[in-house]
Amino acid sequence: MKNALAGMERSLFWTLAFAVFAAVAAGLAARAVDRLAVSYEAQRSGYAIARIVAPEGQEALSTAQTALNAAPGVSSAAPMTAGRAAALLREWGGGEVQAAELPELRLVEIELEPSAGDDAAGDLVAALAQSGVTAEVLQAPDNAAGGGLSDRLKRLAAWGAAAFALVMALIVSLAARSLAARRREMVTVLCDLGATQGQVAGQVGQEAALLGFYAGLVGAALAGAVAISILLLAIPNARIETLPSMILPLDFVPLAAAPFASALAATLGARGGASSIHAKAARLG
Amino acid sequence: MPRPSTPDLELYERGVLVKLAGVDAGYGPATVLMAVDFEARAGEVSLINGPAAAGKTTLTHLLRLALHPRSGRAVILGVDAAHASETLQAKVKRRIGYVAENPTFIEHWSAFDNISMPLRLAGRKPSQYERDVRELVDFVGLTDAANLPVEQLSGAERRRAAIARALANKPHLILADDPTANMSPADGRRVVRLLAEMRRVGTGVVIASQDESLPEVAPMARWRIEHGRVTQIDHAAPEEEAIE
Repeated sequence: MKNALAGMERSLFWTLAFAVFAAVAAGLAARAVDRLAVSYEAQRSGYAIARIVAPEGQEALSTAQTALNAAPGVSSAAPMTAGRAAALLREWGGGEVQAAELPELRLVEIELEPSAGDDAAGDLVAALAQSGVTAEVLQAPDNAAGGGLSDRLKRLAAWGAAAFALVMALIVSLAARSLAARRREMVTVLCDLGATQGQVAGQVGQEAALLGFYAGLVGAALAGAVAISILLLAIPNARIETLPSMILPLDFVPLAAAPFASALAATLGARGGASSIHAKAARLG
Repeated sequence: MPRPSTPDLELYERGVLVKLAGVDAGYGPATVLMAVDFEARAGEVSLINGPAAAGKTTLTHLLRLALHPRSGRAVILGVDAAHASETLQAKVKRRIGYVAENPTFIEHWSAFDNISMPLRLAGRKPSQYERDVRELVDFVGLTDAANLPVEQLSGAERRRAAIARALANKPHLILADDPTANMSPADGRRVVRLLAEMRRVGTGVVIASQDESLPEVAPMARWRIEHGRVTQIDHAAPEEEAIE
């Protein structure tokens, strides 16, 4: 459109771009929270450790492994090796632990299926007892106590981002309304020449749509660049080449939707403003 | 689009472009025009003379459908102004050429673009109107300034651009509000002569002005407005008596 990005419109353009940037950043943050929550939930709910109390000997570990692998809700089970235990202790404690220094371990690591029940520990103990193995579960998910927290967090992040995006859309719309005020001269002239309210609103709305779309593109591109920088800085070993495998198609939704949503909000705001000016110009009394 | 009622349309077909009968009009609580009777015909120039603040501008607003009558009846180009839909009013406005006392333009656009705006609004493409607009620009004497932004034009040039814009869409009725204000007598006469020329193609021209000497320029039906009341002084002189 003629003069769309010149002069006074430049400040309006950057106002719109900033609002879109903020909305897209909120959307991407919500996606990040979602991804972290899913990952946390998978880790938290998918893993258990059982200690075999009786009978003693290596045979009990094999019996326990067989029993657990056949138990419902269990994906896989395997005795914990000294090397694996040392690695875990190093990870949890931070200090150097030698595998050879560890006593005999009577531990079984268990990967649970997502369909595992709320009382995973009780179910594991019962499954082992049926095979004549007495065991205690050292670590298991407790969905009854802490389960669902990540779901709530995901919902909160999604609703928060949606509400924030709505506020930003309102800001875009109100800012675009000022475009109509800047076009008051044109609206008045068109009205005097016999343009209908729809024609005038269409003319100003078209200009606002273009402005909103380009501002949306720029705002989304900036938010995307910032998000990629944060990923590269925050995730160890993350590189540009590894990013495609880390990003899901769903993560692009805020980026892709931003220019269109911005154009729509700007159009609605500008059309409303132009219609209001036209109504005043058309009827002096 | 609702059709105008038959008597109004018949009036229009008989060449009566404007018919006001007992019209009151004003802004907010103030009534400016009182019991106005007025008529303008196709192919005639009607001059409404009166002092400042007599209601001349209000009358032109009424005639261009920007102001609606509070009482009485206003039929403009065959349409009852008080009861026409927004779409019909817009259609009527497109057949009226309006030259305001202080014409408004899209200031950063060229005079040419401003003048061609009514044609663009009517959906015509540049290739269809470019030649006509160039002729119009020459006719009003704006050839050298046509491509300048309107904000760079002098007062007289702006007035000529406004006249060209008013004529662009071949209107049935031309309204000019104090077209000679703030102009030299020579420029003023030239502007009025340009407007009056349009009567020759059957267009009705209504000029509201404080200038009492305008009838010397062209034959005109003369009306007087004072304190919001309009009276007819005389009818238009026959064309052969016109002072050219």
